[in-house]
Amino acid sequence: MMLLWENMKLAFSAIRINKMRSFLTMLGIIIGIAAVISIVSIGDTMRGVIADQFAGIGVNRVDVYLQSDDDTYDDSDLFSGDDIDKIRDTFGSNIEYLSGASNQKAVLIRNRTSENVIFNPVREGYTKVQPVDVVQGRMIDGKDNDGEKKNVVLEEKTAMKLFKTTNIVGRKIKVSYDSSSGSEVSEFSIVGVYRNSQTPLGKLLSGGSTEKAYIPESLVFNSDSEAFDLDMFVSPDANAQQFEKIFTGYVARLKNKNISNVVYYTAKSDMQSIDSIMSKLSAAVGAIAAISLLVGGIGIMNIMLVSVTERTREIGIRKALGARTIDILVQFLTESAIISAAGGVIGTSIGVGVVMIGGAVFGIRVIVNPITVIVAVCFSAAVGIFFGMFPARKAAKADPITALRYE
Amino acid sequence: MREIIRITNLEKVYDTGSVQVKALKGINFLVNEGEYVAIMGQSGSGKSTLMNILGCLDRPTSGTYLLDGEDVSSYSDDKLSWLRNKKIGFVFQSFNLISRTSSIKNVELPMIYAKVPATQRRKKAQELLEKVGLSQRMDHMPNELSGGQRQRVAIARALANDPPLILADEPTGNLDTASSVEIMELFTKLNNEGATVIIVTHEDDIAQFTKRIIRFRDGEIISDSEVKKS
Repeated sequence: MMLLWENMKLAFSAIRINKMRSFLTMLGIIIGIAAVISIVSIGDTMRGVIADQFAGIGVNRVDVYLQSDDDTYDDSDLFSGDDIDKIRDTFGSNIEYLSGASNQKAVLIRNRTSENVIFNPVREGYTKVQPVDVVQGRMIDGKDNDGEKKNVVLEEKTAMKLFKTTNIVGRKIKVSYDSSSGSEVSEFSIVGVYRNSQTPLGKLLSGGSTEKAYIPESLVFNSDSEAFDLDMFVSPDANAQQFEKIFTGYVARLKNKNISNVVYYTAKSDMQSIDSIMSKLSAAVGAIAAISLLVGGIGIMNIMLVSVTERTREIGIRKALGARTIDILVQFLTESAIISAAGGVIGTSIGVGVVMIGGAVFGIRVIVNPITVIVAVCFSAAVGIFFGMFPARKAAKADPITALRYE
Repeated sequence: MREIIRITNLEKVYDTGSVQVKALKGINFLVNEGEYVAIMGQSGSGKSTLMNILGCLDRPTSGTYLLDGEDVSSYSDDKLSWLRNKKIGFVFQSFNLISRTSSIKNVELPMIYAKVPATQRRKKAQELLEKVGLSQRMDHMPNELSGGQRQRVAIARALANDPPLILADEPTGNLDTASSVEIMELFTKLNNEGATVIIVTHEDDIAQFTKRIIRFRDGEIISDSEVKKS
């Protein structure tokens, strides 16, 4: 083991003697490792962004609707207020929040300006399951629902476009929307303003830039109007799989349908499938980038062969003075491993640096997995040892008599 | 008297496929501890072949070679490496110092392979360089030294592991007359201190420094005689 330290000193001095050549040899590994690290980190970061996105939707959120076998629907496929109440009573605390869902478009009109929004009907308790950053006034509450009050909470930017200010609590706005009795225009009171703090990338991923406007659920779903979808948050304490089974069974019985007609869609399963696609994708691209490591490794092999030939005489001297085959082998392997590990460290710094700078520029929380870094550096050293093996064996096998005569 | 070298019926045949060349044709000789021997002969006489075998760099085709009591004829490559490290101090015609490596590091080299601890190694290397008169040149690179100085570094290196045998192959071949004399005087001094020294040379002047000359021709010993000091 004493020889290992000697060999490392020897390797460093050999690298120092041929600085330029050693650097150029390292370059292949540097580029390869930097590429792998940055690609894998970009992949991890994207997965993080998507996870945040789904956390925004709500990981325990379920969209429930009925789908008939022939893709048509009638009234029996809709959920009435009664249905919703029954479900709520049956499942109690296993359901944190339940309301009818709609993605109804509405047009807000003030003087000559108008702004498209999506009506998002909510009940009391919505903010407990899905945080809403209310910056002015308040969120829709139970009283709004009980009184079927025409109250609305607007997004900050919508407010700015219509009123040029966010200080609009208590003001009125005209809204044109489709109700159960056909298209209608009503006046709503603005009770609050919230801020959507999604990043531009997040908005892109959530598909669309139309802001939501929160209104009382009771305005949309009442005795004459029924919901296509249920917007449900399952309690995190509930066993998700078991709950799904019981819930779909219950809904099927309630609506007199087959279980297969009850669609139980969770963001979580979507997130998992996207996450798995993303991780496979980044692994695949990373693997392609790893090919450059192979090229870098061949570069190391090439230069080590040159080095072995140049130092034939030195090898002869060392052997004559008592170096065993293994000593020479380890000497050259140490040198190639150090060259490529150094390349790995430099490449890692560059890769991480590039990703960090990119993250800072785009305002994204960057994820650099330490395991990726460790694996990359170990892999680069392994590349060095693997590709150094052939030249080192060539050196180790040299016949001392011939090697000593080598000019 | 301790026998350092006992060679019995030693043969070396180079098989080049179609032709077999007998480089050594059954030679016998004995070298005792403390002897100072010159091996002489023209090129092609087989003295280089003998030198390689004596230095454990090559194995004989037949016959036995006892080095300090060990029969090395059948040793493996690694065992031979170990033997060279412990038993033989080499001095070569072309010095064979490792370039871009300081004198002291060159002297330390055999001790590295003998696994001598670093501090002890350094101390011994300093002592040896002082002994050969290079205490001022310890950190010089070989290309900063004269031929005679390089050969003295090589001699210091040969002494590093206190080998029972010092084997010098044309040690003055690349040196001018003055340096040659210096180097031979150094060998004489080492021999006077008890070292066993074998010098392979084709120069009579050089051989005259020794006490015994073995002459080779065509793979055979043609004479083996004491040197008469005038």
